Amino acid sequence: MTTQARLSYRAQAARAALAVGVLAHAATPAPAADNWRIDPARTHIAFAIDAVGYPRTHGEFRQFAGRISVDFQHPEMSKVSFHVQSQSVDVGSTSFDDYLRSPAFLNSARFPSIDFTSGSITKIDDHTVRVAGDLTLLGVTRPLSVQVAVQREDGRLAFLAKTTIDRLEFGMNSGFPLVSRDVELVISSAAVQL
Amino acid sequence: MSLEPRPERWSGSIVALHWAGAAIILCLLAVGWAMVDGDLDSATTFDLYQWHKAFGFVALGLTALRLAARPVSPAPSEAPGWEGKLASVAQALLYILTLALILSGWLVVSASPLPVPTRFFDLFVIPNIAQPDPSLFAAAVLAHRLAAWGIALLIALHVAGALKHHFVDGDDVLTRMLPRRRASSEPRP
Repeated sequence: MTTQARLSYRAQAARAALAVGVLAHAATPAPAADNWRIDPARTHIAFAIDAVGYPRTHGEFRQFAGRISVDFQHPEMSKVSFHVQSQSVDVGSTSFDDYLRSPAFLNSARFPSIDFTSGSITKIDDHTVRVAGDLTLLGVTRPLSVQVAVQREDGRLAFLAKTTIDRLEFGMNSGFPLVSRDVELVISSAAVQL
Repeated sequence: MSLEPRPERWSGSIVALHWAGAAIILCLLAVGWAMVDGDLDSATTFDLYQWHKAFGFVALGLTALRLAARPVSPAPSEAPGWEGKLASVAQALLYILTLALILSGWLVVSASPLPVPTRFFDLFVIPNIAQPDPSLFAAAVLAHRLAAWGIALLIALHVAGALKHHFVDGDDVLTRMLPRRRASSEPRP
Protein backbone atom coordinates (compact mmCIF):
# COMPACT_ATOMS: atom_id res chain seq x y z
CA MET A 1 0.00 0.00 0.00
CA THR A 2 1.41 3.39 -0.90
CA THR A 3 1.93 6.12 1.67
CA GLN A 4 -0.86 8.09 0.07
CA ALA A 5 -3.26 5.14 0.12
CA ARG A 6 -2.34 4.39 3.74
CA LEU A 7 -3.00 7.97 4.70
CA SER A 8 -6.34 7.88 2.89
CA TYR A 9 -7.35 4.65 4.65
CA ARG A 10 -6.43 5.97 8.04
CA ALA A 11 -8.22 9.20 7.30
CA GLN A 12 -11.44 7.29 6.68
CA ALA A 13 -11.04 4.96 9.68
CA ALA A 14 -10.48 7.78 12.13
CA ARG A 15 -12.68 10.38 10.51
CA ALA A 16 -14.15 11.75 13.77
CA ALA A 17 -10.76 12.57 15.20
CA LEU A 18 -9.10 13.83 12.10
CA ALA A 19 -7.71 17.02 10.75
CA VAL A 20 -7.54 20.60 11.73
CA GLY A 21 -10.88 21.90 12.93
CA VAL A 22 -12.55 18.52 13.46
CA LEU A 23 -11.81 18.46 17.16
CA ALA A 24 -14.20 21.36 17.63
CA HIS A 25 -16.88 18.68 17.70
CA ALA A 26 -15.11 16.39 20.17
CA ALA A 27 -16.37 15.93 23.71
CA THR A 28 -13.21 17.41 25.18
CA PRO A 29 -11.95 20.17 22.94
CA ALA A 30 -8.21 20.46 22.64
CA PRO A 31 -6.68 23.57 24.13
CA ALA A 32 -5.96 26.36 21.68
CA ALA A 33 -2.57 26.53 19.96
CA ASP A 34 -1.02 23.23 21.01
CA ASN A 35 2.66 22.87 20.29
CA TRP A 36 3.85 19.83 18.39
CA ARG A 37 7.31 18.49 17.84
CA ILE A 38 8.33 17.11 14.45
CA ASP A 39 9.22 13.42 14.72
CA PRO A 40 12.43 13.10 12.63
CA ALA A 41 12.03 9.33 12.22
CA ARG A 42 8.66 9.83 10.53
CA THR A 43 9.59 12.88 8.52
CA HIS A 44 10.88 12.83 4.96
CA ILE A 45 11.76 15.94 3.03
CA ALA A 46 12.16 14.60 -0.48
CA PHE A 47 12.68 16.18 -3.87
CA ALA A 48 12.84 15.11 -7.49
CA ILE A 49 14.23 16.89 -10.54
CA ASP A 50 14.41 15.98 -14.22
CA ALA A 51 17.20 16.58 -16.72
CA VAL A 52 17.47 16.04 -20.47
CA GLY A 53 19.17 12.74 -21.30
CA TYR A 54 19.57 11.87 -17.65
CA PRO A 55 17.47 9.81 -15.23
CA ARG A 56 15.17 11.63 -12.81
CA THR A 57 17.10 12.47 -9.64
CA HIS A 58 15.38 11.62 -6.36
CA GLY A 59 16.81 12.83 -3.07
CA GLU A 60 16.12 13.68 0.55
CA PHE A 61 17.38 16.06 3.18
CA ARG A 62 18.32 14.05 6.27
CA GLN A 63 18.76 16.80 8.85
CA PHE A 64 16.10 19.33 9.75
CA ALA A 65 14.17 20.83 12.60
CA GLY A 66 10.55 21.82 12.67
CA ARG A 67 7.91 23.23 14.90
CA ILE A 68 4.16 23.12 14.57
CA SER A 69 1.67 25.06 16.60
CA VAL A 70 -1.92 24.00 15.98
CA ASP A 71 -5.07 25.82 17.04
CA PHE A 72 -7.87 23.42 16.28
CA GLN A 73 -10.54 26.00 17.10
CA HIS A 74 -8.97 28.62 14.87
CA PRO A 75 -6.90 26.88 12.20
CA GLU A 76 -5.82 30.23 10.78
CA MET A 77 -3.93 30.86 14.03
CA SER A 78 -1.81 27.74 13.54
CA LYS A 79 1.87 28.01 12.59
CA VAL A 80 4.46 25.77 11.06
CA SER A 81 8.15 26.24 10.42
CA PHE A 82 10.85 24.01 8.96
CA HIS A 83 14.61 24.52 8.95
CA VAL A 84 16.46 22.11 6.70
CA GLN A 85 20.25 21.71 6.67
CA SER A 86 21.22 21.93 3.02
CA GLN A 87 24.42 19.93 3.53
CA SER A 88 22.34 16.92 4.57
CA VAL A 89 21.24 16.32 0.96
CA ASP A 90 21.29 12.65 0.05
CA VAL A 91 20.72 11.34 -3.47
CA GLY A 92 22.43 7.98 -2.92
CA SER A 93 25.93 8.85 -4.15
CA THR A 94 28.60 10.57 -2.07
CA SER A 95 30.17 12.29 -5.07
CA PHE A 96 26.76 13.42 -6.35
CA ASP A 97 25.88 14.73 -2.85
CA ASP A 98 29.16 16.68 -2.79
CA TYR A 99 28.37 18.19 -6.17
CA LEU A 100 24.87 19.22 -5.07
CA ARG A 101 26.38 20.90 -1.96
CA SER A 102 28.74 22.92 -4.17
CA PRO A 103 27.99 26.51 -5.29
CA ALA A 104 26.49 25.06 -8.50
CA PHE A 105 23.34 24.08 -6.60
CA LEU A 106 22.80 24.32 -2.82
CA ASN A 107 25.98 26.27 -1.95
CA SER A 108 25.80 24.73 1.52
CA ALA A 109 28.93 26.46 2.83
CA ARG A 110 27.33 29.87 2.27
CA PHE A 111 23.68 28.95 2.75
CA PRO A 112 23.54 26.19 5.36
CA SER A 113 19.77 26.42 5.95
CA ILE A 114 16.67 26.14 3.80
CA ASP A 115 13.74 27.61 5.71
CA PHE A 116 10.00 27.61 5.46
CA THR A 117 7.83 29.70 7.76
CA SER A 118 4.07 29.77 7.44
CA GLY A 119 2.17 33.03 7.18
CA SER A 120 -1.43 31.89 6.95
CA ILE A 121 -3.20 28.56 7.20
CA THR A 122 -6.63 28.05 5.66
CA LYS A 123 -8.86 25.07 6.20
CA ILE A 124 -10.08 23.57 2.91
CA ASP A 125 -11.94 20.56 4.27
CA ASP A 126 -11.77 18.20 7.23
CA HIS A 127 -8.56 16.62 5.96
CA THR A 128 -6.90 19.39 4.05
CA VAL A 129 -5.41 22.78 4.78
CA ARG A 130 -3.61 25.30 2.62
CA VAL A 131 -0.40 26.58 4.16
CA ALA A 132 0.94 29.82 2.70
CA GLY A 133 4.31 31.10 3.79
CA ASP A 134 7.83 32.02 2.81
CA LEU A 135 10.50 29.68 1.51
CA THR A 136 14.09 30.84 1.81
CA LEU A 137 16.61 29.06 -0.40
CA LEU A 138 20.07 30.34 -1.31
CA GLY A 139 19.26 33.43 0.76
CA VAL A 140 16.31 34.31 -1.49
CA THR A 141 12.83 34.41 0.05
CA ARG A 142 9.79 33.70 -2.12
CA PRO A 143 6.15 33.02 -1.19
CA LEU A 144 5.07 29.40 -1.29
CA SER A 145 1.57 28.02 -0.91
CA VAL A 146 1.14 24.31 -0.28
CA GLN A 147 -1.91 22.09 0.08
CA VAL A 148 -1.38 19.76 3.03
CA ALA A 149 -3.26 16.56 3.83
CA VAL A 150 -3.61 16.26 7.60
CA GLN A 151 -4.68 13.48 9.91
CA ARG A 152 -4.66 13.06 13.67
CA GLU A 153 -4.45 9.78 15.52
CA ASP A 154 -3.02 8.49 18.82
CA GLY A 155 -1.68 11.88 19.85
CA ARG A 156 0.11 12.29 16.56
CA LEU A 157 -0.46 14.56 13.60
CA ALA A 158 0.50 13.31 10.16
CA PHE A 159 1.06 15.58 7.17
CA LEU A 160 1.60 15.05 3.50
CA ALA A 161 2.42 17.94 1.21
CA LYS A 162 3.37 17.95 -2.46
CA THR A 163 4.37 20.99 -4.42
CA THR A 164 6.68 22.20 -7.15
CA ILE A 165 9.07 25.12 -6.90
CA ASP A 166 10.86 27.02 -9.65
CA ARG A 167 14.55 26.88 -8.72
CA LEU A 168 15.34 29.79 -11.07
CA GLU A 169 13.30 32.07 -8.78
CA PHE A 170 15.88 31.40 -6.08
CA GLY A 171 18.86 32.01 -8.34
CA MET A 172 19.66 28.31 -8.72
CA ASN A 173 20.38 28.48 -12.44
CA SER A 174 23.02 25.79 -12.98
CA GLY A 175 22.46 23.55 -15.96
CA PHE A 176 19.21 25.18 -17.09
CA PRO A 177 17.65 24.25 -19.51
CA LEU A 178 19.48 20.90 -19.53
CA VAL A 179 18.36 20.48 -15.91
CA SER A 180 14.70 21.32 -15.32
CA ARG A 181 13.73 24.53 -13.55
CA ASP A 182 10.94 22.67 -11.69
CA VAL A 183 11.83 20.85 -8.50
CA GLU A 184 9.13 18.59 -7.10
CA LEU A 185 8.92 18.55 -3.30
CA VAL A 186 7.21 15.82 -1.28
CA ILE A 187 7.14 16.41 2.46
CA SER A 188 5.66 13.77 4.70
CA SER A 189 5.85 14.30 8.42
CA ALA A 190 4.43 13.29 11.75
CA ALA A 191 4.40 15.45 14.84
CA VAL A 192 3.89 14.51 18.49
CA GLN A 193 2.27 16.79 21.03
CA LEU A 194 4.63 18.53 23.45
CA MET B 1 62.82 3.90 -43.22
CA SER B 2 65.25 2.27 -40.82
CA LEU B 3 67.49 -0.40 -42.28
CA GLU B 4 67.84 -2.10 -38.92
CA PRO B 5 66.39 -5.62 -38.83
CA ARG B 6 62.81 -5.79 -37.55
CA PRO B 7 62.40 -7.49 -34.15
CA GLU B 8 60.49 -10.77 -33.99
CA ARG B 9 57.99 -9.46 -31.47
CA TRP B 10 56.77 -6.25 -29.90
CA SER B 11 58.76 -4.92 -26.95
CA GLY B 12 57.56 -5.62 -23.41
CA SER B 13 56.59 -1.99 -22.83
CA ILE B 14 54.49 -1.83 -26.03
CA VAL B 15 52.81 -5.15 -25.14
CA ALA B 16 51.98 -3.91 -21.63
CA LEU B 17 50.67 -0.56 -22.91
CA HIS B 18 48.66 -2.32 -25.65
CA TRP B 19 46.79 -4.62 -23.28
CA ALA B 20 46.33 -2.03 -20.53
CA GLY B 21 44.96 0.42 -23.12
CA ALA B 22 42.75 -2.28 -24.65
CA ALA B 23 41.27 -3.20 -21.26
CA ILE B 24 40.57 0.42 -20.32
CA ILE B 25 39.07 1.35 -23.69
CA LEU B 26 36.77 -1.69 -23.66
CA CYS B 27 35.67 -0.83 -20.09
CA LEU B 28 35.14 2.82 -21.12
CA LEU B 29 32.98 1.74 -24.07
CA ALA B 30 30.92 -0.57 -21.83
CA VAL B 31 30.51 2.02 -19.06
CA GLY B 32 29.78 4.74 -21.63
CA TRP B 33 26.99 2.63 -23.07
CA ALA B 34 25.62 1.76 -19.60
CA MET B 35 25.58 5.33 -18.33
CA VAL B 36 23.87 6.73 -21.45
CA ASP B 37 21.50 3.92 -22.45
CA GLY B 38 21.52 1.60 -19.46
CA ASP B 39 18.35 2.90 -17.78
CA LEU B 40 20.16 3.12 -14.43
CA ASP B 41 19.22 5.30 -11.47
CA SER B 42 20.51 8.85 -11.19
CA ALA B 43 23.12 8.21 -8.45
CA THR B 44 24.66 5.21 -10.22
CA THR B 45 24.67 7.13 -13.49
CA PHE B 46 26.46 10.07 -11.83
CA ASP B 47 29.11 7.77 -10.36
CA LEU B 48 29.64 6.03 -13.72
CA TYR B 49 30.11 9.41 -15.41
CA GLN B 50 32.81 10.34 -12.89
CA TRP B 51 34.51 6.95 -13.34
CA HIS B 52 34.28 7.30 -17.14
CA LYS B 53 35.85 10.77 -17.06
CA ALA B 54 38.73 9.79 -14.74
CA PHE B 55 39.58 6.61 -16.66
CA GLY B 56 39.30 8.53 -19.94
CA PHE B 57 42.31 10.52 -18.79
CA VAL B 58 44.10 7.30 -17.80
CA ALA B 59 43.51 6.14 -21.39
CA LEU B 60 44.91 9.45 -22.65
CA GLY B 61 48.07 8.95 -20.55
CA LEU B 62 48.52 5.37 -21.76
CA THR B 63 48.02 6.39 -25.41
CA ALA B 64 50.53 9.22 -25.05
CA LEU B 65 53.06 6.84 -23.48
CA ARG B 66 52.52 4.33 -26.27
CA LEU B 67 52.96 6.97 -28.95
CA ALA B 68 56.17 8.05 -27.21
CA ALA B 69 57.38 4.42 -27.00
CA ARG B 70 56.73 3.57 -30.65
CA PRO B 71 59.76 5.42 -32.14
CA VAL B 72 62.14 3.71 -29.71
CA SER B 73 60.48 0.29 -29.98
CA PRO B 74 60.64 -0.87 -33.62
CA ALA B 75 57.59 -2.75 -34.90
CA PRO B 76 57.91 -6.35 -36.09
CA SER B 77 57.57 -6.78 -39.86
CA GLU B 78 54.03 -6.41 -41.12
CA ALA B 79 52.16 -9.10 -43.02
CA PRO B 80 52.73 -9.00 -46.80
CA GLY B 81 50.22 -7.66 -49.30
CA TRP B 82 46.91 -5.92 -48.79
CA GLU B 83 46.29 -7.49 -45.38
CA GLY B 84 49.43 -5.89 -43.97
CA LYS B 85 48.45 -2.53 -45.41
CA LEU B 86 44.89 -2.85 -44.06
CA ALA B 87 46.31 -3.76 -40.64
CA SER B 88 48.62 -0.73 -40.71
CA VAL B 89 45.75 1.58 -41.68
CA ALA B 90 43.48 0.09 -38.97
CA GLN B 91 46.22 0.49 -36.36
CA ALA B 92 46.89 4.10 -37.37
CA LEU B 93 43.15 4.81 -37.29
CA LEU B 94 42.94 3.22 -33.84
CA TYR B 95 45.50 5.73 -32.56
CA ILE B 96 43.74 8.63 -34.29
CA LEU B 97 40.26 7.60 -33.12
CA THR B 98 41.47 6.91 -29.57
CA LEU B 99 42.80 10.45 -29.38
CA ALA B 100 39.65 11.85 -31.07
CA LEU B 101 37.49 9.92 -28.64
CA ILE B 102 39.32 11.18 -25.57
CA LEU B 103 39.61 14.78 -26.78
CA SER B 104 35.92 14.93 -27.81
CA GLY B 105 35.03 13.54 -24.36
CA TRP B 106 37.15 16.26 -22.75
CA LEU B 107 35.29 18.80 -24.89
CA VAL B 108 31.91 17.33 -23.83
CA VAL B 109 32.64 17.81 -20.11
CA SER B 110 34.17 21.25 -20.75
CA ALA B 111 31.41 22.70 -22.93
CA SER B 112 28.55 21.13 -20.96
CA PRO B 113 25.94 23.66 -19.80
CA LEU B 114 26.21 21.81 -16.48
CA PRO B 115 29.94 21.68 -15.80
CA VAL B 116 30.67 18.95 -13.27
CA PRO B 117 34.33 19.12 -12.18
CA THR B 118 36.43 16.22 -13.49
CA ARG B 119 38.29 14.88 -10.49
CA PHE B 120 41.21 12.58 -11.23
CA PHE B 121 40.52 10.02 -8.47
CA ASP B 122 40.16 12.79 -5.86
CA LEU B 123 43.79 13.78 -6.46
CA PHE B 124 43.21 16.96 -8.47
CA VAL B 125 40.69 18.61 -10.78
CA ILE B 126 41.39 18.38 -14.51
CA PRO B 127 40.96 21.79 -16.15
CA ASN B 128 38.36 22.39 -18.84
CA ILE B 129 39.42 23.16 -22.41
CA ALA B 130 36.37 25.26 -23.35
CA GLN B 131 33.68 27.44 -21.83
CA PRO B 132 30.13 26.10 -21.38
CA ASP B 133 28.48 26.35 -24.80
CA PRO B 134 25.29 24.44 -25.75
CA SER B 135 26.13 24.31 -29.49
CA LEU B 136 29.70 23.17 -28.93
CA PHE B 137 28.44 20.69 -26.33
CA ALA B 138 25.95 19.16 -28.79
CA ALA B 139 28.64 18.90 -31.49
CA ALA B 140 31.12 17.34 -29.04
CA VAL B 141 28.54 14.79 -27.85
CA LEU B 142 27.88 13.79 -31.48
CA ALA B 143 31.61 13.54 -32.23
CA HIS B 144 32.18 11.47 -29.06
CA ARG B 145 29.36 9.06 -30.01
CA LEU B 146 30.59 8.71 -33.60
CA ALA B 147 34.18 8.17 -32.45
CA ALA B 148 32.96 5.53 -29.97
CA TRP B 149 31.09 3.65 -32.68
CA GLY B 150 34.06 4.05 -35.02
CA ILE B 151 36.54 2.68 -32.52
CA ALA B 152 34.20 -0.21 -31.64
CA LEU B 153 34.09 -1.18 -35.33
CA LEU B 154 37.86 -0.81 -35.68
CA ILE B 155 38.47 -2.94 -32.59
CA ALA B 156 36.21 -5.61 -34.09
CA LEU B 157 38.23 -5.48 -37.36
CA HIS B 158 41.52 -5.48 -35.41
CA VAL B 159 40.50 -8.50 -33.30
CA ALA B 160 39.09 -10.36 -36.30
CA GLY B 161 42.38 -9.82 -38.16
CA ALA B 162 44.46 -11.01 -35.20
CA LEU B 163 42.31 -14.13 -34.77
CA LYS B 164 42.44 -14.85 -38.51
CA HIS B 165 46.25 -14.69 -38.41
CA HIS B 166 46.35 -17.00 -35.40
CA PHE B 167 43.77 -19.62 -36.31
CA VAL B 168 43.63 -19.51 -40.13
CA ASP B 169 47.13 -18.47 -41.20
CA GLY B 170 48.85 -20.02 -38.19
CA ASP B 171 51.42 -17.20 -38.02
CA ASP B 172 52.76 -15.23 -35.04
CA VAL B 173 51.00 -11.89 -35.61
CA LEU B 174 48.89 -12.39 -32.46
CA THR B 175 51.46 -14.16 -30.28
CA ARG B 176 54.12 -11.50 -30.80
CA MET B 177 51.74 -9.06 -29.03
CA LEU B 178 51.17 -11.46 -26.13
CA PRO B 179 53.24 -11.27 -22.93
CA ARG B 180 56.46 -13.30 -23.33
CA ARG B 181 56.24 -16.71 -21.69
CA ARG B 182 59.44 -16.88 -19.68
CA ALA B 183 59.71 -20.70 -19.49
CA SER B 184 59.63 -21.29 -23.25
CA SER B 185 61.15 -18.16 -24.74
CA GLU B 186 63.82 -17.39 -22.16
CA PRO B 187 65.29 -20.70 -21.10
CA ARG B 188 67.34 -20.48 -17.97
CA PRO B 189 71.06 -21.20 -18.40
